[in-house]
Amino acid sequence: MTAALPGIPEEELVAPGHRACAGCGCILAMRYVLKALGKNITVSMATGCMEVVTTPYPETSWRVPWIHSAFENAAATASGIAAGLKAMGREGVKSVAIAGDGGTADIGLQALSGMVERGDNVLFICYDNEAYQNTGIQRSGATPFGAWTTTTPIGKVKRGEDRPKKDIPAIIAAHGAPYVATASVAYPLDFIKKLQKAAAIEGPTYIHVHAPCTPGWRIENNKTIEVARLAVLTGAWVLYEIEDGKFKLTFKPPKRRPVADYLKLQGRFRHLTDEEIAEIQRMVDEQCKRVGIE
Amino acid sequence: MRQVLTGNEVAALGAKLARVNVIAAYPITPQTAVVEKLAEFVADGELDAEFMKVESEHSALSACIGASAVGARAFTATSSQGLMLMSEMLFIAAGLRLPIVVANANRALSAPLNIWCDQQDSFAVRDSGCVQIYCEDNQEVLDSIIQAYRVAEELLLPVMVCYDGFILSHTAEPIEVPEQAEVDKFLPPYEHPHPLDPEKPVTMGPMGVPEYYEEFRCMLQQAMCAAKEKLVGVDREFGKRFGRRYGLLEQYRSDDADVLLLTAGSLSSSAKELIDRYRKRGERVGLVKVRAYRPFPAEELVEALGHAKAVAVLEKDISLGWAGALFTDVSAAFVNVKKAPLMMDFICGLGGRDVSQLQIREALRAAARAAETGEVRRPVHWLGLREKIVGLGV
Amino acid sequence: MNKCTGCGMCWLFCPDTAISKDKPAVVDYRYCKGCGICANECPFKAITMVTEEGR
Repeated sequence: MTAALPGIPEEELVAPGHRACAGCGCILAMRYVLKALGKNITVSMATGCMEVVTTPYPETSWRVPWIHSAFENAAATASGIAAGLKAMGREGVKSVAIAGDGGTADIGLQALSGMVERGDNVLFICYDNEAYQNTGIQRSGATPFGAWTTTTPIGKVKRGEDRPKKDIPAIIAAHGAPYVATASVAYPLDFIKKLQKAAAIEGPTYIHVHAPCTPGWRIENNKTIEVARLAVLTGAWVLYEIEDGKFKLTFKPPKRRPVADYLKLQGRFRHLTDEEIAEIQRMVDEQCKRVGIE
Repeated sequence: MRQVLTGNEVAALGAKLARVNVIAAYPITPQTAVVEKLAEFVADGELDAEFMKVESEHSALSACIGASAVGARAFTATSSQGLMLMSEMLFIAAGLRLPIVVANANRALSAPLNIWCDQQDSFAVRDSGCVQIYCEDNQEVLDSIIQAYRVAEELLLPVMVCYDGFILSHTAEPIEVPEQAEVDKFLPPYEHPHPLDPEKPVTMGPMGVPEYYEEFRCMLQQAMCAAKEKLVGVDREFGKRFGRRYGLLEQYRSDDADVLLLTAGSLSSSAKELIDRYRKRGERVGLVKVRAYRPFPAEELVEALGHAKAVAVLEKDISLGWAGALFTDVSAAFVNVKKAPLMMDFICGLGGRDVSQLQIREALRAAARAAETGEVRRPVHWLGLREKIVGLGV
Repeated sequence: MNKCTGCGMCWLFCPDTAISKDKPAVVDYRYCKGCGICANECPFKAITMVTEEGR
């Protein structure tokens, strides 16, 4: 191995051979999570893409202790792990929960809320591919405005998702979690730094990573990183931290690009009229204004 | 040491004596005192455990699953709607082979909403893969929880200890409380064979593809069936150390009985009283009480009931559209047996309706009539129904 | 591969851990799914995607 990228651990704790789609952004997120956190962790994972593609019995990709129990309870199971470890005096092992946007924002929200409210020592990571991808691209609370999914199809009467994206990081910050951050698979160093920062905190921490889905977003397999990067460069996805309630932007796009640059690479937005794109641009502009991106 | 304690108090005490490491339970009537008592034990430093203030029953059992998976002894308690909400995780805990003990204060199911005793809740989850024990009195509750951890941990199966809501949960009875040191000798610390541990990573709960799933379920079934022998063995050992034994069934004055009552739970005590009165009059009646319901003691029941002419099952549950669970299962046990008694099902005590001696007598008389005539015209009956008031033509 | 500087970007962005952080980077065809992210992200255009021939 070359000495390149010294900030990124070389060990692979997610073994290849998993059944993720070609170009999957989420499994890349998993690779980064495990590079950042190392082997002294337990992973409690919700039902979803990552769970299913990494553990077709008798194979597994996980070179760390890993448990899947159900869809809505990654946080609760992880909380139980943290309690069990504490009760047995096992120090130095971090309980980590991982779920998709479905298992976080919708069906998983109660358990996550309970975990944060109790102050459990768990790092919760949401890999956000903006729909229930594993079951075939149905919308979630994290599906962005205007997106096609199978349950927000483009028809004569309705045209795609008509609700804005649920702001989960804000909800978790409102619970008083000591550390909340957003990340993107296109910015792995930033993601890894944030993961390590969160893991070092004793208490409930939350990281929300934006991770494109090649079939779900209708993008070409080789464009995953490009699309994720454009989300950030257009201000559609904002990279920030909220530490003890204080908001801090961690990346400011130098010259914010029009959101159309991001949307036009994705088939799930292909149907948008100029007017609809303008509407999305307005929403992005408002979001950027709120967080201090020009 | 003798103390006067309610069912809820002994459930909490059982968990304490078992030295549980993690408690994750959500309050629901009539179980609330279990959670409160455990919170007190932990707050006072009497029990060195993590008390998790979970936000629902589903999360309660999910947390227990996490805790058990890393090798901590976990406990939860619930009832009725809580058990229903938890039910997804009951099946999963069994499939994951985690030795969690669940105390269930038997309570009716909505709708309509009802907080009082019946056994619909635990019977509704009989398919889950959890061992199920039904207790007749509070002493049995305490002893069963301690025994439950032995059974659970030696087989890697969750165990549910059921006790009647309000009737047992809120009723104080004199209890012989075992000494902690004696319980420690009976119940060694929990050791999962391959817990979640960074030194030896394992994957728990993978995707069970069609090529392997059926085998997993068969293995679970085998473990459940092995639980019968395990329950007997653990109970025998408990009996030797503490002087109290319960078995899979209890046979009460049943050996020479023509007519038998079949019960589970506290109703057994009431029914035994009637049996005694009838026996005084020289009638050959008896009672068989089911303590271990899952695994189902089919052979043992065939042996205990087979000689009778008629059996009246008294149960506080119904599988809507057919009959009660106990009746259904015991009938199935006799399906290929040549000499089988006539069987009748008496649904009673739903939603906390008191099961009076008169009602039990009605069942006994109906069974006696069947024994005499050799026929049962209608297998399923309801006791204590206020037919006239609600206009039911039952 | 003569343009490869061993920068590691392909290794970094491969969802399947199928390309090494070497100079030149080496593809493990047991795991490569041919997504092409590596080729798309390579700052030096050192990777070419070639359609696999049928067996």
